[in-house]
Amino acid sequence: MTEILDRNIKDLIAEHPGVGELLENEGIACVSCQAGTCRTRDIIEVHGLSAQRERAVLARIAALVDPGRKVEIPMLPRASPALPGAPLSPPLRMLVDEHAQIKRWLALVAPIAAALRRGEAGAVEAARSGVEFLRGYADSFHHAKEEDTLFPCFDPGLEIVRSMRAEHETARGRVREVVAALEQGDGERAAAGLEAHRDLLSEHIRKEDEILFPWMDRTLGTSAVGRLYGSFVSIESGAAGRPAELCASIAALSLANGPPFAIMQAAEGARGWPL
Amino acid sequence: MSAQGCPGSRAMQFEAEEMRLRRRAGAATAESPTGAVPSQLRQWPVQLHLVPPTAPYFKGADVLLTADCVAYALGGFHGQHLKGKALAIACPKLDQGQEVYVEKVRAWIDEAEINTLTVMTMQVPCCGGLLAMAQRAAELATRKVPMKSLVVSIQGEIIREEWIGA
Repeated sequence: MTEILDRNIKDLIAEHPGVGELLENEGIACVSCQAGTCRTRDIIEVHGLSAQRERAVLARIAALVDPGRKVEIPMLPRASPALPGAPLSPPLRMLVDEHAQIKRWLALVAPIAAALRRGEAGAVEAARSGVEFLRGYADSFHHAKEEDTLFPCFDPGLEIVRSMRAEHETARGRVREVVAALEQGDGERAAAGLEAHRDLLSEHIRKEDEILFPWMDRTLGTSAVGRLYGSFVSIESGAAGRPAELCASIAALSLANGPPFAIMQAAEGARGWPL
Repeated sequence: MSAQGCPGSRAMQFEAEEMRLRRRAGAATAESPTGAVPSQLRQWPVQLHLVPPTAPYFKGADVLLTADCVAYALGGFHGQHLKGKALAIACPKLDQGQEVYVEKVRAWIDEAEINTLTVMTMQVPCCGGLLAMAQRAAELATRKVPMKSLVVSIQGEIIREEWIGA
């Protein structure tokens, strides 16, 4: 069992596709994860499964990997018991609130991409405003808090942290592609770039909100939470209102562009894009 | 008020948690050995009326504000909760002159610039006033600090633990 626990989950899924299906049914989306370099034991811990559910999942994985062999299922050590629905600590709550701001931009991507493809007036300006928001708020402000302050609270070698950093880098690359496409006047490429960035960030935010941050909260001690909060407050003081300006620019986007954008946004919202 | 009176002062008797757990596990009823447990207290005084809010041990500290009965109910209080923290104790039901408490807690937050505030109370209703007092002080303070609430059962279990904002 130790060998299974220490295996890279993507390798395990490649050899035993049933493991991926099992995890999907448990709400653990390793199959579709961009990085997927986590060990099996880290995934079980990070998703905060109850002890009973953890043993059931491990037993089924063992049965898939080594059918017919009786395997002893260990009790994995836990940072603290999972408290379903427990509110996040104040600093992690701040990050989740910032995600809500970022999701407001993500909800605008579909109508803006459509307008770029049709070559509509104002579409390029709207896309540039979005890029400015992504660079100034999502990256320089929000991701910087995570990378420079939150992630260093944990083992840098931890696969889940490395995976999140890697996704930040991928997101930056996609923004650069959008900027290049806009400069070259290639509306189709810019639209595709915005959509690829949206898809990446939507899933990234979901993983952080639902899995990573609750696990981090269970792991951080009280004193670390206090220091983290103090650091975030200092960062916000230093930002001197710029984050709020950028958020206001996104709020103004849907209003400034009139009915077409409003109608498309409502339509896309009905299709379930993050709002 | 029910015919049985306030739960905070109703007389009750129950077996020790250790005996209850051993009985459930079917273990022998002989008591486990006990030994000296090192104290984690690093200051004096501890009663909220007596502690100076700007004492050095509060400066930048993680502060634990507990109801008087908590340390008696929780077997692992020193090692699991007090360790590394500055302490003050109070009884929201029986202490007199509690009007100064709000100002003391506010001074912790603003002048002592504490790192966090953890409030531990018992599950009985009369204990709720301690958390309410701390929250009033936090509203009056200009700084914000993360605040946590833990509620302890009379059998010595943590029955609720949550961050209640900053």
